[in-house]
Amino acid sequence: MTMVEDLGRLSKRSGPQSSSLQDGSRIAVVGAGPAGSLFSYFLLNMAEAVSLDIGVDLFEPRHFCHRGPAGCNHCGGIVSESLVQRLATEGIMLPDGVVQRGIESYTLHMDVGDVEIETPLAEKRIAAIYRGNGPRNSEPLDTHSFDGYLLELAQEKGANLVPRLVTGVRREDNRMRVTCADQYCNDYDLAVIATGVNSRLVESLEDESREFRRPGRTKTFICEFLLGRDVIRDTFGPSMHVFFLDIPRLKFAALIPKGDYVTLCLLGKDIDDELMQQFFSSPEVMNCFPKGTVPSHVCHCYPRINIDAANPAYSDRLVMIGDSGTTRLFKDGIGASYRTAKAAARTVVFHGTGAEDFEKYYAPTCRAISKDNQVGKVVFGFGSLIQKSRFARRGVLRMTANEQKNANGSRRMSEVLWDLFSGSASYTDVFLRTLHPAYIGSLLWNLVAGNSPSASSRNGHGRGQECDRVEH
Amino acid sequence: MSNTKTPPRASAQPVFWTHAQQLEKLPPCQAQCPNSGDVRGWLGIIAQHEKTGLTLEQAYDRAWEKLTELNPLPATLGRICPHPCEDLCSRRDKDGSVSINAMERYIGDWGLARSLKWSVPAQSEKPESIGVIGSGPASLSFTYQMARRGYQVSLYERHAVAGGMLRQAIPDFRLPREVLDAEIQRLFELPVTLHKNTEVGLDISLNELRDRHALIFLGLGAQGAHRLGIPGEAGPGVVSGIAYLRRRKQRLALTTGRRVVVIGGGNTAIDAARCARREGAEVTVLYRRSAKEMPAATNEVDDARAEGVRFEFLVSPTQVLRKGPVIQWIEVQAMRLGAPDEQGRRRPVPIPGEKRLLRVDTVIVAVSQAPDWAGLDLEQDDTQWLMTEEDGRLAENLWAGGDDRGPAIAGKAIAQGRLAAEAAHAELSGTRRPLECQERRTLNMGEIKPDFYRDQERECQARRPQEEWLDSAEPEIDQTIGHEQAQREAARCMSCGLCFDCEACFMYCNGGGFTRLEESRPGHYFALSLDACEGCGKCIEVCPCGYLEVRESSANGSDQ
Repeated sequence: MTMVEDLGRLSKRSGPQSSSLQDGSRIAVVGAGPAGSLFSYFLLNMAEAVSLDIGVDLFEPRHFCHRGPAGCNHCGGIVSESLVQRLATEGIMLPDGVVQRGIESYTLHMDVGDVEIETPLAEKRIAAIYRGNGPRNSEPLDTHSFDGYLLELAQEKGANLVPRLVTGVRREDNRMRVTCADQYCNDYDLAVIATGVNSRLVESLEDESREFRRPGRTKTFICEFLLGRDVIRDTFGPSMHVFFLDIPRLKFAALIPKGDYVTLCLLGKDIDDELMQQFFSSPEVMNCFPKGTVPSHVCHCYPRINIDAANPAYSDRLVMIGDSGTTRLFKDGIGASYRTAKAAARTVVFHGTGAEDFEKYYAPTCRAISKDNQVGKVVFGFGSLIQKSRFARRGVLRMTANEQKNANGSRRMSEVLWDLFSGSASYTDVFLRTLHPAYIGSLLWNLVAGNSPSASSRNGHGRGQECDRVEH
Repeated sequence: MSNTKTPPRASAQPVFWTHAQQLEKLPPCQAQCPNSGDVRGWLGIIAQHEKTGLTLEQAYDRAWEKLTELNPLPATLGRICPHPCEDLCSRRDKDGSVSINAMERYIGDWGLARSLKWSVPAQSEKPESIGVIGSGPASLSFTYQMARRGYQVSLYERHAVAGGMLRQAIPDFRLPREVLDAEIQRLFELPVTLHKNTEVGLDISLNELRDRHALIFLGLGAQGAHRLGIPGEAGPGVVSGIAYLRRRKQRLALTTGRRVVVIGGGNTAIDAARCARREGAEVTVLYRRSAKEMPAATNEVDDARAEGVRFEFLVSPTQVLRKGPVIQWIEVQAMRLGAPDEQGRRRPVPIPGEKRLLRVDTVIVAVSQAPDWAGLDLEQDDTQWLMTEEDGRLAENLWAGGDDRGPAIAGKAIAQGRLAAEAAHAELSGTRRPLECQERRTLNMGEIKPDFYRDQERECQARRPQEEWLDSAEPEIDQTIGHEQAQREAARCMSCGLCFDCEACFMYCNGGGFTRLEESRPGHYFALSLDACEGCGKCIEVCPCGYLEVRESSANGSDQ
């Protein structure tokens, strides 16, 4: 009774190739996070458009209406404005209950000072959301799960929710056999893996196969602080707080206000107690909180995130989407889920479910994301350099602060930082903008000016200077 | 700049860590069962048979073995037990309690159909001989437990066959005698001797027996019956419920006439009323409180009504009127409910002046049972029940259990017999008693997460068509559930407080803290590594059955 994937057998391409969906075809989608639900939604939408009558079983044993870790899907919960817009063009409007707080600005915290970066354009908004139904023991006020909302959409489209835990997917007679923990078992014409990288399923797929490698992962830390709506409005505002701190191995840290809670996201290399200790005891972090004290958190986890992609992310009648396949480095994972889900749905409806169909029509989307991630690594490399150098930090602070003061001037640094933090633009796009002569020129000037002996007194009056808050 | 500022207050560390631990809990069914039956255990063997590599047949065999570790009469109890185990089943408010009683019966019947046998470990033979007086459920349970431990047991029964009240008082339509015969017969495959037609105190004295055996167990039952104590009660036509049922079970001649009145509201009263209906009588049950206070099992009352038994509530008999010796009328007093008594039941109070006469041929008095150990030469008189220690010890080498310690359901008698055997064995062998399951923490309401279980309708026993109920052959009304039904019903068990391999913790742990055990059995599928545990508590919250919980040392306040 093997309940595990036998991907070794996937390589033996048996029978005629290039299979395609027909009326009556049955598709198993494993996992109803954004990737699984959006895939089901797009698939059924497109199938309807070409009058294809298919059945979609969407496997998800958990309930997003549960509070705390049971209903959660591990994520900081930021939906970039580009994704909000893309969803809007698909007719998916995030209801007010889903959006915990419209984020209107970023506040960049550095030891040399703080600066608030406002939304570059009026329509550029980002949304803070909860993937599940809010933190442990939270009150069921107006929280509505983002994932739960997308799942409802998929169900409205006709996806059949199967509340079982899938523990194995393997090939049986040219069909995909899905087995569950409760011994349920069924065969499908296509299996779509959308379990993310925090489930054992991809691991068991890899363990049983010599052909498949699951995405590489790194550990992150996420926790929730209960502060209350009013306190959050007064101390954090509708702003996401990002930290550029000179702490070894720390890549990115942000505090995101959501209703009565503030979510902390820590990304870095080998997140451990030491790193967290340094982070929590740094003055920039402590001073963000009321009375300069970091309170106890009410909920935490160490979710894993991708550092690279599954290889391959598909085979005959099998495709991995969302994090299980590939995602963007550090940022905008939901956006990547949207892209891979849509590309995979388009491939199976309009082309086929064979490995070569995915190679031809699905792989390019994955490769584009991977390629951009390479650029992203360089961009974050630069970011690390700035984090490590007080000299550079002063230049960045001065340039950003001056841009924010100047309503009509160009805001090259602000936009670069905004897009980097929000994940709104591709890393390639961000990188190219930093190569612009005007950006480089301005940065060089600010590096000099920001580090000149008189700089500190001038900065004291700057728009972005937040020292007064630190001092009282 | 920052180093010029006031140093921030002492750094606060996040401290809400919820490290997990695996801890088996006492499920509500077991907590409710007087015999602490391991319902989850025997249902789990069936429900999880594929996970543990058993065929369905092997699983049922093992479930029978597990079930009969504590109860040697599953086919019997599966028919007659009022199943308090089902009362607080975690499934109750979702889609109905698991049909535990029906499953017990199914497994009991399975064991009979396959002639499953008990093993007595070789070399476990003990030198001590044990004497048991009476052969009701308590005595049979004690006998069974001692015999399986290697003792030679002699049963002394004043009737020709063993079984006590199970045989004497429970009508065939609830418990066919073939089923009881077969289950008792199996007991005599163990080293057990039956001395039938032997009344202790008459044929042999208790002291003789105490000389003969290392240890004596008294399972005397509650053979006496309380009388009403009203004028005209003495004489023909008035019979106790137990006596009536006993005569009927022995197929002795009965003449009850056309009009039968049964006094009382317990199970004996209902059984007697239903038997009288089968004799063709018009039967009225008189109960002095209202229907709500009636102690009889509700389903038995419903069945009795369906069979045409009439009920009159809030009436109490005051005298029996005879013409010569022949009973003619019974005078009844109307009652109302007054203040609650010490048990919380409202006391019936007579309404002055409201008396009337009922025409009657036979009065069956089933108000309550009484002790009766005349001639036994016990140090205690029979005006009160035996007062033993908790484990059943009455005196040096003298133990007791069952209704002689106060009437209760058969399951309680079986429990008392078992507990006495465990304690007696511990004393004789100088070993320790087995740990009682009760020492585990009971699963709290709310630790079960019902919405992680899919809805599945409760399977119910089929019943004989109602027009056949009063058939003279007295066929059994409830039928054993079918094979597929049994399998589905076993799978409905939520396995409260014990792992059933749902794999949620294993699949969702970010840190990979759970590893599958190479040798799994129900309840034991995964090992949890505390080194890998990251304290997020997710496994605890996705564990549907409440097996995983927060490790004490980890909760709020401790360092990471």
